[in-house]
Amino acid sequence: MCHQTVSLAARHLEENGISTVIMGCAKDIVEYCGVPRFLFSDFPLGNSAGRPFDRESQAQTLELALRVLESAPAARTTVQSPLRWSEDAAWKCDYLDLTKLSPDKIAERKKEFDEVKSIARSKREAS
Amino acid sequence: MMTTTASGAKAAFAADYDAPIPYMQRTRDYYQVLGFTPYRWAHFVEVPFTPLGMPLDRARVALITTAAPFQPGVGDQGPGAAYNAAAKFYQVYSISADTVPDLRISHVGYDRLHTTAADINTYLPLAQMKAAAAAGRFGSLAPRLHGAPTNRSHRVTIETDTPELLQRCREDGVDAAVLVPS
Repeated sequence: MCHQTVSLAARHLEENGISTVIMGCAKDIVEYCGVPRFLFSDFPLGNSAGRPFDRESQAQTLELALRVLESAPAARTTVQSPLRWSEDAAWKCDYLDLTKLSPDKIAERKKEFDEVKSIARSKREAS
Repeated sequence: MMTTTASGAKAAFAADYDAPIPYMQRTRDYYQVLGFTPYRWAHFVEVPFTPLGMPLDRARVALITTAAPFQPGVGDQGPGAAYNAAAKFYQVYSISADTVPDLRISHVGYDRLHTTAADINTYLPLAQMKAAAAAGRFGSLAPRLHGAPTNRSHRVTIETDTPELLQRCREDGVDAAVLVPS
């Protein structure tokens, strides 16, 4: 949802004369929405600005985003960071992996989801 | 010079799964199995584009984040915390960029299996942006950073939150924005 939110925000700013660049990890969501400039890091969600406790990777990620901001030739410019999360890419198979869910686990997740939705709803209504 | 690999020769291709994760498809499949109706993701054909109208070293740049201010009393928001819906927020907020804000991401679905959100600089590049501004890479950092609520409702995001973000960027005389989802 975060990637969609910032994509919609970037579009609105851009329509109103403010240039934008998104730094993110969910390539499909951002590109499906359609944004002007996007620096994509192929990292687990939560690491849009670089690897944990790796200042060099964080500085490099921002620098790439700034270069995209100043030099993108047209809308829908995506640049992929050359940085790798790890040598082994197996982590990409795990996100919402249904093959590891038993029927019991599915029922448990459904219950959890309903609970979370109810908490979010009361929070939203109270704000 | 470019070379081609003859059929049958050993090509050093990457693993099939070593491509950007198809999050929309995974989410769709997952919620279908859980029995929920599929979510409709925002999708447009036309994309606006405003060229940066000045050299970057003269531009005032804002940071926009989806991270949430730490809220005492609503449960674990620390590194590796379980998804915490009580830590969500539903209104745009702004914080002085001169501070070192305590912003967390326990309220969103980051990859808890492979990362822990222990280092704020992985989701909030404020320190990096301050360093870049000080080094003259861009003109100046906007006086405030802004928080965007992550709402499932496109309507709320489009009609309420994004106009509010624009208004605040205008108040700060911003030329450009770096937007960072958590």
